[in-house]
Amino acid sequence: MHYVLHYGQITPYIPYLLGGVLISLALSILSFAGGMVLGLVFAILRNEGGAAASRFVRGYVAFFTNTPQLVQIYVIYFGLPDFGILFTPFMAVLIGMTLNAAGYLTEILRAGLASVHAQELDAAETLNMSRLQTLRHVILPHLFRVTMPALTNQYILMMLGTSMAAIFGVEELTGRAFNINSTTFRSIEVFTTVAAIYVVVTFLATILLALFSRWAFRARVPVI
Amino acid sequence: MLAFIAAEIPRLFTIYNVILLAKAAVTTLSLSAVGCVVGLLCGTLLTLARMSRRRSLWPLKALAFLYIEIMRRIPFLVTLMTFYFGAQVLGFNFSPLEIAFVSTSVISTAFVAEIVRTGLQAVKASQIEAAEVMNFSVWQSFWLVRLPQAWPIILPPVFGYFVLFIKDTALASQAGVLELTQAAKILNTKGFSASLVYATVLLLYFVISYPLARLGGHLEKRLGTARHSRSRRTV
Repeated sequence: MHYVLHYGQITPYIPYLLGGVLISLALSILSFAGGMVLGLVFAILRNEGGAAASRFVRGYVAFFTNTPQLVQIYVIYFGLPDFGILFTPFMAVLIGMTLNAAGYLTEILRAGLASVHAQELDAAETLNMSRLQTLRHVILPHLFRVTMPALTNQYILMMLGTSMAAIFGVEELTGRAFNINSTTFRSIEVFTTVAAIYVVVTFLATILLALFSRWAFRARVPVI
Repeated sequence: MLAFIAAEIPRLFTIYNVILLAKAAVTTLSLSAVGCVVGLLCGTLLTLARMSRRRSLWPLKALAFLYIEIMRRIPFLVTLMTFYFGAQVLGFNFSPLEIAFVSTSVISTAFVAEIVRTGLQAVKASQIEAAEVMNFSVWQSFWLVRLPQAWPIILPPVFGYFVLFIKDTALASQAGVLELTQAAKILNTKGFSASLVYATVLLLYFVISYPLARLGGHLEKRLGTARHSRSRRTV
């Protein structure tokens, strides 16, 4: 029980850890963007597509929101090679996170789409807007304004979820923590430092996203 | 390849492997359940500390606030590894399962505390004022006025969190806890195709989680609080 903390042994590794933050950020931003595109398509399909499309989207959402992301990535990374499909660790995690995010984002965006008032769409039609113009000027601004808090929440969760990539050998923040842990054996120091970095990064992300949604969509979200 | 994998199926579902998977499923469920029950108890205490209006309790209030804000911003894997390696370094002799129970409890306390807080705050201030006017003590007004009105609001999201947490506990496999994901890793090591075992476990998770999620949705409708529907954790 006579353990002395030595954070001094970790400080030389701080730049290395911050490099890992960049990979974590890249992973979370890319998968969030991919998930948004897929989610938007799915949400529109679910609301306006035919019965088959709607059923497919419902099944997709039910499946991906009711199974662990970790096991999904396991199937992609370890399972698909059985069929000759090989991915690098980064790609496997990226694909898994994107597909998983699409499930949750579809639900968020669908709820947002459902909250667009029929009168607004009527007004757009009266103003002789094309379907694309209606989407660009009426639906999307409303959608983002309404869903921004939920989207921010989802992004933060995905940022935390990127730590899973370490399991597949991606050297992001947690992966680099494992590396430092196995060279210095300063486990408590390494993991608490990394935890602190996650807290700071997600905190900054929350503030930046709140400022962004205030500026871009005039969403009424508290900054802190 | 498909025929090859199909040929493995009868070998995979022998009685021993089925027992392994069933035991693993029970561990998965109990990890989430223990986390949520401890989370509900400790989370309520934390919330009470945070909402307390007594001046002298400010250090406790600050601690509760920091705990809730910080623990929700640390990935489960990092918390788990901190406890896992931390226990080793400090010389505690905990089993992986105990480590996993501790870390799920620590994490879910923070998340459930936030759910409890929104529930308790949803009770109108006028109700508490009325209780004060009727000379209720702080405990009486909490126990007899606030809690009976708050629990139908608290319960559905806590149940939703329990279902969500079932999936998060897959990470406990990294500490060597024998839950579903770890069972898949073991079966894979035994020589079964990765695609087969991981797909099986994926399906098992779905079979466990989907009915519970549906039940949660039903519960939410029954208790008449649709306000938090579909939302996951709030960070």
